[in-house]
Amino acid sequence: MRGAEILLQPGVFPRLLQGLWVTVWIAGASVLLALPLGLLVGWLMTLKNPAVRVIMRVYLDFIRIMPQLALLFIAFYGFAQAFDWNLDATGACVLVFVLWGAAELGDLVRGALESIPRTQYESAKVLGLNSWQTFTRVILPQALRRLLPASVNLVTRIVKTTSLATLLGVVEVIKVGQQIIDANRFQYPDATLWIYAVIFLMYFIVCWPLSIVARRLEKRWAHD
Amino acid sequence: MTDINATTTGSASLGVAGAAEHPAVTAQGAALSVRHLVKQYDNASAPVLNDISFDVPAGQVFVILGPSGSGKSTLLRTIAGLEPIQGGEITMGGELLRQAQSAGKLRSASASDSTKVGMVFQSYDLFPNKTVLGNIMLAPVLVQKRDKASVQAEALRLLERVGLADRKDAWPHELSGGQRQRVAICRALIEHPQVMLFDEVTAALDPEMVREVLDVILELANSGQTMLIVTHEMAFARAVADHVVLLANGSIVEESDHPQEFFDHPHTERAQQFLATFTYDRGQRQS
Repeated sequence: MRGAEILLQPGVFPRLLQGLWVTVWIAGASVLLALPLGLLVGWLMTLKNPAVRVIMRVYLDFIRIMPQLALLFIAFYGFAQAFDWNLDATGACVLVFVLWGAAELGDLVRGALESIPRTQYESAKVLGLNSWQTFTRVILPQALRRLLPASVNLVTRIVKTTSLATLLGVVEVIKVGQQIIDANRFQYPDATLWIYAVIFLMYFIVCWPLSIVARRLEKRWAHD
Repeated sequence: MTDINATTTGSASLGVAGAAEHPAVTAQGAALSVRHLVKQYDNASAPVLNDISFDVPAGQVFVILGPSGSGKSTLLRTIAGLEPIQGGEITMGGELLRQAQSAGKLRSASASDSTKVGMVFQSYDLFPNKTVLGNIMLAPVLVQKRDKASVQAEALRLLERVGLADRKDAWPHELSGGQRQRVAICRALIEHPQVMLFDEVTAALDPEMVREVLDVILELANSGQTMLIVTHEMAFARAVADHVVLLANGSIVEESDHPQEFFDHPHTERAQQFLATFTYDRGQRQS
């Protein structure tokens, strides 16, 4: 059990918390930017215009088929070099997660919008509501309810996937853990399990409340 | 609400607000006039509605009967502006309401135009994100820009009339099918439509709930509301109709100003055949 003592070493826990902050920052920034973009993408996906449809289809499929890691490498090594961008590793992560989140969220928004029965549009029209009033007062409120549980799950997926940022050299919580383990390899040879257990708990504490919220909302809005 | 005799005594109240503010409802002559209406889908070889013409005098109850696929729902939908028409025109109180568009697009209606027709659908189409009161008050406040307090007062009066005053704050999912349809009727009535359209409003209901909805429609008929009703409830059609139209294959096969006579002694063979599908003969049972 000597390995557990590493957690009490000065600096270890604060450093892990710093790493966690980087993780949460990347995930939070990505989600905040992906939300409005995802709503826009979802709306674009419902349009009948063939050109828009094709573009959106290609965008969604490209993001879905490519492993996130490959996307990160393309953004960080490929784009930055090709276009001479001064894009740091964290920026590349946020860029990829925003594009990924917006595509996935867009598909959820599209599904939610298309699941609203046609009679909802028709009764609004017969009552005299114009398309904007119908969308904002009738369709969108219903779509958001159907959307929320699934999008909260998407947020937890984004939080977990930020661990890939390590491979671009971002010092987030996993990387910090590895550094601590490496630095103490001789003093605490069996520290690995303990450090990763703490990291597991940290991810859990961030994602668990989101899961609870998602489940609550699912239950409350099940009747729609 | 379950007793027709009881509801007819207080009849005038449901439509009275509309009648007072819209003289067209009480004026003589045709409230709604359909002329040479043609409706055809792009990919169909035959029109769904073929040269339909009729006049609905103000205050009259028009019942449209017909086998499924005869175009009766489509007819209501064209009047409601949900389907573009390919020929003819629809006028209301002498003013053009809909006409054929070469582009196949619907003429964009002004706010006052769009509230001239009220419609209740077969499916329960209340807005699930709004309460009963929220459903009823949405359009008059948002579209007709009426005063919120007076709209609420009228909404409560309408709910009282249909026996749902105590459910004003309920959510649609908490209501039975029959209650939802009664709320849907209130939601349409509060805009004071000149013509009300009912598209098989009881078709999806349990038999016991059919009565409560039809009683409301009957009371509305007695209050002088002009309406077009598509229904499969023959006993109800016989009780409520001023005029009966039988539609088959997109054309009017037979119509009559004397509903009793139509139901008892239809002239055309098609009408006899149609009405026969609702009766059963004990002689068919092999003992």
